[in-house]
Amino acid sequence: MSEVERVEYTPVSVRETLIQMKDISELMIDLAYSSALFDNRELAEEVMELEKKMDTLVYILNMNLMLAARDKADAESLAGVAKVGSLTNSISDAAADIAGIVLKDIGIHPIVREVFQRAEEHLARVRLSENSVLAGKTVMDMNLAAEVGVDIIAVRRGLYWMINPEKEIIMPEDVLVARGTAEGLGKLIRVAQGEVDELG
Amino acid sequence: MSLAEDRQLYEKICNDLVELKDTSEMMMDLAYSALLLSSQQLAEEVIMLEDRMDNLHTEFELLVLSSRREQEEAKGLLGLIRMGVVTERIADAAAEIAEVVIRSGEPHPVLRMVIQDAEETVERIIVSENSPVVGKTLREARIPEETGMWVLVIRRGNRWLRPKPTIILQAGDVVVASGYAEGEDDLKNLLAQ
Repeated sequence: MSEVERVEYTPVSVRETLIQMKDISELMIDLAYSSALFDNRELAEEVMELEKKMDTLVYILNMNLMLAARDKADAESLAGVAKVGSLTNSISDAAADIAGIVLKDIGIHPIVREVFQRAEEHLARVRLSENSVLAGKTVMDMNLAAEVGVDIIAVRRGLYWMINPEKEIIMPEDVLVARGTAEGLGKLIRVAQGEVDELG
Repeated sequence: MSLAEDRQLYEKICNDLVELKDTSEMMMDLAYSALLLSSQQLAEEVIMLEDRMDNLHTEFELLVLSSRREQEEAKGLLGLIRMGVVTERIADAAAEIAEVVIRSGEPHPVLRMVIQDAEETVERIIVSENSPVVGKTLREARIPEETGMWVLVIRRGNRWLRPKPTIILQAGDVVVASGYAEGEDDLKNLLAQ
């Protein structure tokens, strides 16, 4: 069982914290589905780590919201903010449940793989070839979201995972986990394997 | 159970789970859009989808349970059932976000800021007369390929239209799309030029 830690009040920006919670909850869903699709324990463990972080964030968010309310009108509209915060946390719990399927070796039914092929959003992983033009670039520089509608959600280097990488430089032999349209992922895979140099 | 029947069942389970997953994700996007736009109508749409999810989820679970043929598969089927439960919970969360819109009328401004500043943003753009997408089907308009943004819903007058690939875009359509903030300008250039 994971230890439950005491959470102390920290002054934070409600806006920044809620943005962080929304982003983490969405990232967790992608990571969790990836862990199921690729039957990957490490990714599932990363999801569990993020889940713990979310549990802390929701407490801190609520403490700050309580101090922000000055009158009845504030209380009415901030209750909605608190609700949305706690819902991003529910989503992260759901993601953790998918990760739990992987960690508890419940087994990934072959149908799951087929489901991911037919769903609107696709997931893929690819090992970066040393011939690829992407080698030596940061994920931010690759500008994949704008170019091909693909987002790199995690990168594995040896035993080490980088989650939601932005400024890290991607090197040959890194394994990229990405999500996006089937077409965009196809392009990314060809460029990552060094078959073509252009994303477009 | 014959092999053909087996295949048919497998196919149905697969289709249902695809729909559960896609719908749950679409509902999240729509719920955040409803918050961003303070749109009661869109919020009600999300809550209606939640009803559909409940029925679909029950159907899916019954199908999975009726397929238990061999003991060794039981664990794999449990994984499937759990996956269905997760999509249902995501849909529930989406419906509850939509309820915040309905309960509070005008959501707190910080929520709008959060949705616009998050990595994944929601944009609302009116299709202009000069846009190259006018008269094209959504499939032909290739919006995700060109801009990296997904169309969530299209408002035409008072109607909210689901983004079917065969729908023909018209000038004046309000396109609600989500994606990475980087795609926003491309989307504006494509639709509102």
